[in-house]
Amino acid sequence: MAAPIILTTVLGTLARIIILGSRYTQTLADRIELSTPVTSWKLMTEGVFLLDHGISPYEGDNFHQPPLLLYLFFVIHKTAPSLIPLVFLFLDLTTAFLLYLLNPFSILTCAAQSTSIINNLMIASTFLLTLKGQRISATLTLALASYQSLYPVMLIVPSAMHLAFLKMQERKETISYSSRTAVSAILFTVGSFLIWYFILLGVSYTMLESWDFVRSTYGFTLSVTDLKPNLGLFWYYFMEMFEHFRIFFLWVFQVHAFIYTLPLAIVLWKCPSFVFFCQLILMAVFKSYPSLGDTTVYFALLPVWSHAFHYLRNGLVISVMIVISVVLAPVLWHLWIYAGSANANFLFAFTLIYSTAQIFLVTDLIFAFLRRSFSLQHGMKALKPDGTEKLVKLQ
Amino acid sequence: MFAVLGDSFHVACQHYDLFPKAVGQIIESHDVKELHLSLTQGLWRHDKWGYPVRSSPPGAELWAWFNETPARSIDESWANLVNSLSGLFCASLNFIDATNTVVPNLSFRPSGVVRGDERPDQDSVRYASLPKENVCTENLTPWQKLLPCNSKAGLSTLLNAIRLYNAHYHTLTVDVQPVCQSYPACTSTVLRLTQSISVVFRPTLNAGHQQWSLQSLFDRPLKGPCPLAVKSYIHVDISNESISLDYTLNPPPSKVTSDDHGKVASYDVAEMTQGGKANPPTLHAHRFIAGYGQENGGITCMIYNNDISNAVDVVYMETLPWYVRLYLHTMKIKTENGTDVKPDMLRFVPGRDRGRPYLLELMFTLPPASVITFSIQFDRAFLKWTEYPPDANIGFYLGISIQKHMFIVKVCSHQCQFTIFCQFYNSTAAPRCILAIKFKQFPRVEQFIRIYTEPLLLQLPLPDFSMPYNVICLVCTVFAIAFGSIHNLTTRRLDYEKKKETIWMKVKRRIPFLGKKEKKDSKESKEEKKEDGRARDASSTNEDATGDAGRTKEDVAKGTKVD
Repeated sequence: MAAPIILTTVLGTLARIIILGSRYTQTLADRIELSTPVTSWKLMTEGVFLLDHGISPYEGDNFHQPPLLLYLFFVIHKTAPSLIPLVFLFLDLTTAFLLYLLNPFSILTCAAQSTSIINNLMIASTFLLTLKGQRISATLTLALASYQSLYPVMLIVPSAMHLAFLKMQERKETISYSSRTAVSAILFTVGSFLIWYFILLGVSYTMLESWDFVRSTYGFTLSVTDLKPNLGLFWYYFMEMFEHFRIFFLWVFQVHAFIYTLPLAIVLWKCPSFVFFCQLILMAVFKSYPSLGDTTVYFALLPVWSHAFHYLRNGLVISVMIVISVVLAPVLWHLWIYAGSANANFLFAFTLIYSTAQIFLVTDLIFAFLRRSFSLQHGMKALKPDGTEKLVKLQ
Repeated sequence: MFAVLGDSFHVACQHYDLFPKAVGQIIESHDVKELHLSLTQGLWRHDKWGYPVRSSPPGAELWAWFNETPARSIDESWANLVNSLSGLFCASLNFIDATNTVVPNLSFRPSGVVRGDERPDQDSVRYASLPKENVCTENLTPWQKLLPCNSKAGLSTLLNAIRLYNAHYHTLTVDVQPVCQSYPACTSTVLRLTQSISVVFRPTLNAGHQQWSLQSLFDRPLKGPCPLAVKSYIHVDISNESISLDYTLNPPPSKVTSDDHGKVASYDVAEMTQGGKANPPTLHAHRFIAGYGQENGGITCMIYNNDISNAVDVVYMETLPWYVRLYLHTMKIKTENGTDVKPDMLRFVPGRDRGRPYLLELMFTLPPASVITFSIQFDRAFLKWTEYPPDANIGFYLGISIQKHMFIVKVCSHQCQFTIFCQFYNSTAAPRCILAIKFKQFPRVEQFIRIYTEPLLLQLPLPDFSMPYNVICLVCTVFAIAFGSIHNLTTRRLDYEKKKETIWMKVKRRIPFLGKKEKKDSKESKEEKKEDGRARDASSTNEDATGDAGRTKEDVAKGTKVD
């Protein structure tokens, strides 16, 4: 048992150290699949540089990361700039110890020094701390994650549900979210999350003495002004959108990213951790600036639901779609931007496939989960009088 | 006449230097030993003009020698060669076919070198001419493109199509033949491409005087030789100097050679065009775009200080539109030996998307006799499709909208430099003038020069402008897949499949005279339904009672029995 863990630890660490030390770091940091305007290391460097020269990075439209992160890297840059790759290595390895080690996406994201590493660490810690019932620390990490990239805000719902669930189990009550215990637990969780969140915003404000950063970070994430291609659905859509429908569709798309919280929480109320997981996938698809780094947390958590895999219908299709899009997207990006022999549609096609694959994955998983629950209630197999198996359908 | 030696190209590795690749490939693929092509408009009047430099008939003429191969494959190569040349020179040479091709035996000999022991095989020559061929600018342009300097520099800049095609006679020729690589020991041969153009002007016809010049002939002056040329000469035949009227050549020729046939005055183009060039001023600058691809890039500006003794203080201003996302941390100012120059002052105003441009102002000192390279990196933004101009593929001009790209303040000392700096800043950042006030006791401004650099043309990545509907449909489809599936999964319940009543069954049930048996069946199914409903009711009440424990095994068993 110990040997494979040590082996993967050594291999994972080595892979990261080798790539971080190689000359490919810069190339990886420029890759659209790994770095988006909200996580790019190049932009972070620019922000730190501007801050160093007494210019507020939030004055322009070229920096979209929150102030605390900026100051963290500013301090590291000032004291020991050579430590920065090590910081990324450390953060990613911490996440890795929580979740994964040899996922190539995570190794590449670490090497690209994308700040989504930090977001991943926060989300992974939230998941772990929520399962352990550590309310204060779980809400702190969740607040940090939301503070950095806004979308994790919706994870408060499954997180609060799970914490309430644990409380009710502890008191040996029947599970009901309308019970007194549940309501108070949920209120406590949401309250402590909000307190943490406003503390973070307040600290940021006192550091900068202006609210400019809100426009540059959350405003930017929501209004999608930078249309640089990534693996998501927003860039080409809003590049090609007719001007007078832009605001409307922006609202539709952004609201859409959040709406699944409610139906999933209602249907899967018995298993809030699964809601948490589904939302991670949906976030990786429907956020405005997704990257490969966003997939790492949920890919690592995928085996947790391996008991439901028996009921997956499109496993092969999904994996082939993901592999194809991840391999071909960089090729077509090169053909479009550098060789000039393809156009934007080629890359767009593969970002569509990538998103569709993840959508298939999440819907297939939800189906498998529900189907398994159904089997648990009704028995594995039900036979018709003629001996054939009865079909189970949604109706 | 322009001659290029082919020793600089290696067919095996497809590497061409000065020898045009287009011609090299044609020669190679059609196994041609020698090639002679002429495109002529008008007839050379020997009685009036003497002998031409290279004879050619009116219209098109082509003859070629092939390497020794069977006659049939020579005919095939000839047909292919004709078509290739037709495409290369935009001429109707493709009208050459078996009906007008001949194999002359006596009139043509190879004009290049032939190995001593080798007797030319007269069967391997093909000749054809097309007297009706019209020659015009469309033939001149590809012909000029074969020249190492194209029509950008050297003698070929004189070839002004408007003047050439107004002349009495003109001919374009291309000759490719093997020549000795070294004289006199001719151990190996190389290909030589000779391109010549002959034009007959009568400059004195309507001029009212007997003077003529290159300017009057071609409507253009000659600025200098092609930098790639080894030799560049203009020859004037002055054989009739003694018998004709008095005339003088101005400027005097570089040299005059005479032999039995006549007398030729020669001008060395390089020598004649040497003088008259203004020395660049003490300060000058060039700016250009660096990098490749349409993702990112850099702007580099080289600032020259030719003053040997004085250092010069410079204020550099760069304004760039918002879609050129500048990264200040990539800015480098370096001298030619690679040492960093630290700017004395820096002001950077980051741009805002669709709001305001980037502004960078720098002040630094140019050491005496130095070249400072300023460079900064940028990312190219991706615009909305409506933000591109109608001719988006041309690119975007950078820096012509703002009044100054860059200005340089040349001052005698540091004191005045700050004074100027203050004047400049007065309107925007008054506090910075404190420095100037400190030094104001020396308000001696000596010179104030503003230098503007070149505007830059930047290509931005383009979307497909014809796609908006498709993109909107496709993306919305993906959203619909997600929304539809999750809506389905969350609003409906999993249950055992029920026997669905088909339309045919429905029809049979509604129409009573379709047989008793069916009727009975439908009754049965109705009953079945009722019973099933009852069972479900029962199970649901059961479920209510047991909370989330779900149905009991009994229920499951019941369900199967009912069906």
